[in-house]
Amino acid sequence: MSEYGFWDSWLAVILAAIGTFIWRFAGVVLASKIPPHSPLMDWVNTMAYAMVAGVLMLMLVYPTGILAASGLDDRLLGLVTGVAAMMLSKRIILSLLCGILMFAASLHLF
Amino acid sequence: MSTSEPVALTAPQIRRIAAIDALRAPAYALGATMAGFATIAREAGFDVWMTISTSALVWGMPGQVAFASLYSAGASLFIIFVAVSLANMRMLLMVVSAADMMHLHLHQLPLWRRVVLMQFLAITSWAHLAVAKGTYPRHLLMPYFQGFSLTLFAFGMFGTVFGYFLPDMVPPDLLQIIIFITPIYIFLLIATARQKANRLAVLFGGLLCPLLYPMAGEWSILLAGMIGGTLAIAYARYIAKWHLQQDV
Repeated sequence: MSEYGFWDSWLAVILAAIGTFIWRFAGVVLASKIPPHSPLMDWVNTMAYAMVAGVLMLMLVYPTGILAASGLDDRLLGLVTGVAAMMLSKRIILSLLCGILMFAASLHLF
Repeated sequence: MSTSEPVALTAPQIRRIAAIDALRAPAYALGATMAGFATIAREAGFDVWMTISTSALVWGMPGQVAFASLYSAGASLFIIFVAVSLANMRMLLMVVSAADMMHLHLHQLPLWRRVVLMQFLAITSWAHLAVAKGTYPRHLLMPYFQGFSLTLFAFGMFGTVFGYFLPDMVPPDLLQIIIFITPIYIFLLIATARQKANRLAVLFGGLLCPLLYPMAGEWSILLAGMIGGTLAIAYARYIAKWHLQQDV
């Protein structure tokens, strides 16, 4: 199926691992340089939150693999239901269930 | 989580509590996410050992997915390296943020131990650390992270192996619903972050990233994080002045 030989394939795995490791390593080094409770650290935190929210929204709006077979409206309906349940109940597992059930219902009913 | 009794917990106890917290839902959800990756990897032509090694060594979903899709397209090793690095660049900020949240400097660990610890950082454990921060004393947050992230890692590995052989057994409709759990779960966790500035950052980043994606591709995550995070902190500090309130 692929045009890679045995060693090429494993080299690709090692390169993928290194490509992630460099950022973790840089993060560890950088973390020791930024003073805790500083405005700079608050900024790093908001950027981390925004970035993680971005990753999640990409998974939901432009999914890869099996999830891509569902409709965008199904996924967004599930998300909105989960968030609304969370705002009302403040209980995560309950809200998660509401979101998942709405997604499942939307997949099969509409 | 029982928080009422002020009994002093030891590090092994908090690791066990963290493992149980992970087993409440996030570990299964993450296992399912990794199962989803394994199905993509198998379609891309990975053998089972490459799939397991990728999950274990990369341990960052967007990078893993980028790797598998480029591999199936027959891209050069250089392109694979660049794309995976780009997709997981967010680890830099997450590691800095996680080190701050668990007060890592208190533990005076040598560099290699801090690096090994952060090798297990995933979005789920990062988001849970933010929750645990409000519940447990600061010196116990690192053991909490250890217990939580090792449990997740174990389930992630199970999920990977399972997913590699599973698709033949589970109907695709059910698999879709299972894979939907992780993004929703983490979104609910971060959308209820304790600090208002962080909640605002979730809103901005979550809106910006899908809007930027058609133009910026893999860069959209980084851009959404930087623009969304900067807007949120600027609003919080200079307009709303939330940091002057007691709550923060």
